[in-house]
Amino acid sequence: MSDTKPDLELDLRGLLCPMPMVKVSQNISKVPVGGTVRAVATDAGSMADIPAWAKSTGNEVVQAEKVGSEYVFLVKRVK
Amino acid sequence: MEKQELETIIGTLGKRMNRQLKEYLDVCVRCAICKDACHQYVATQDMTYLPAHRAELVRAVYRKYFTKAGQFMPAVYEARDPDEHLLDDLYRSTYACTGCRRCMYYCPFSIDTQWVISAAKAMLIAAGRGNEMLGQLADAALFKGDNIEMFRDNLVEGFREIETQVRDITKNPEAEIPVDRQGADMLYVALAGSHSILPAAIIFNEAKASWTLSMFEAANYGFFFGDPDKARLIAKRFMDEAKRLGVKEVVITECGHAYRVAELFYEAWAKERMPFKVVHILEVIDRYVKEGRIKVDPRGIREKVTYHDPCQIGRNGGIYEQPRDIVKAIAPDFVDMTPNREKQWCCGGGGGIVAMEEFNEVRLKSGDMKVEQIKATGASVLACPCENCRLQIGELNEVHDLGLRVVPVMDLVVEAMGFGHAAGTTGDERDAAEAVV
Repeated sequence: MSDTKPDLELDLRGLLCPMPMVKVSQNISKVPVGGTVRAVATDAGSMADIPAWAKSTGNEVVQAEKVGSEYVFLVKRVK
Repeated sequence: MEKQELETIIGTLGKRMNRQLKEYLDVCVRCAICKDACHQYVATQDMTYLPAHRAELVRAVYRKYFTKAGQFMPAVYEARDPDEHLLDDLYRSTYACTGCRRCMYYCPFSIDTQWVISAAKAMLIAAGRGNEMLGQLADAALFKGDNIEMFRDNLVEGFREIETQVRDITKNPEAEIPVDRQGADMLYVALAGSHSILPAAIIFNEAKASWTLSMFEAANYGFFFGDPDKARLIAKRFMDEAKRLGVKEVVITECGHAYRVAELFYEAWAKERMPFKVVHILEVIDRYVKEGRIKVDPRGIREKVTYHDPCQIGRNGGIYEQPRDIVKAIAPDFVDMTPNREKQWCCGGGGGIVAMEEFNEVRLKSGDMKVEQIKATGASVLACPCENCRLQIGELNEVHDLGLRVVPVMDLVVEAMGFGHAAGTTGDERDAAEAVV
């Protein structure tokens, strides 16, 4: 995972899809353009949902990886 | 408002103007019976959420542009332009509506306010005022569907992990989660999360069903957003897969709106008759229990259980008895809420409202009747076959400290199949064992 310190951390553990994607979408506007949100989810569906949301909204998933039983995302606000 | 924007809004309403909508817009006599039917109005007493008011905003524009009386004497006939004030009001009343259609049930003229709401959403989208969050979720689903190869490996890896869990739980090394299996009898359309696949996979394997998953999920935010084209395209993914795989049934998971879209709307949207049946998974499980294809302990759930009719499955989908029959088959202490079935109160979580933070206050307040209904049952378990309802009631459970276990019906069925206990033990035997301890 990137060493970049995110502007916002989201603990999405326990939330079921599509809520992890909903929470990232609701919170991305809380960071400045160019800023990042680090989100940790436990639902495997988020591995498809969050990148799909980022692509369709023009934001960028800098990293998405599985760490143990968790899914960790670093999402950059592009616009 | 610029002339072009006005023409776009009026043109959009015009395209929606069929005999059904015209009747709903013409026949309201303002009896206000709907005020006692709407959970949002009853809880808040705010006119914004009165069903007649929601529709009245569309009626005002309708009178101005589609009736002679409204064109010539707008003040007398309360005819209005869709100005900024009206559109702001329309946005709040429209996107807050959960589409439960309880107001229609009580309306003496059966005015389907949700039908009017769908026209209102089309007008808002035409004005560039569609709900941004729901639009983003719909677009994300479309992107995922258009680029499914990008996500295939992750999805298949997830399915394999769930398959391992199924084998561990059932102690059956042959248990499997088939994906894209040609010629399977059923295509199971789940939600993106493993929670909607694992229990179904356990049940299908135990019933020795011929089934398969595909890459495409049930949730349809295009429907909540109010764009029938997006909603159709999202559902088209799994409908096309069902045709390609040659299945006999498309089985929709415990998700209210996805069932309604697939069963009641899709053929009309696609202008095509599907060569398979669409059923809800609880219809299938009810079949399995009654035919003895899965073994359940009749005392498997010993807590007092109640059942919430999700509006899209119950009042709008006609499925009332199968879920109750399933629960009664595994939980001897079942108690229904009052009122129930077609008169069931909406929990307040439908229509995509759980994804729209701006409506959090009214959403939680509108759950007041549901909270009272649940408390009156004295139940400690609430069986609920809809994801949005579970999110809402789960939050009500925390806010009101109800001490409830809010679970999908199929999870309770798996509990009653006895995998979590020594195989073959019954509820009576477990009671006796616990009494000894």
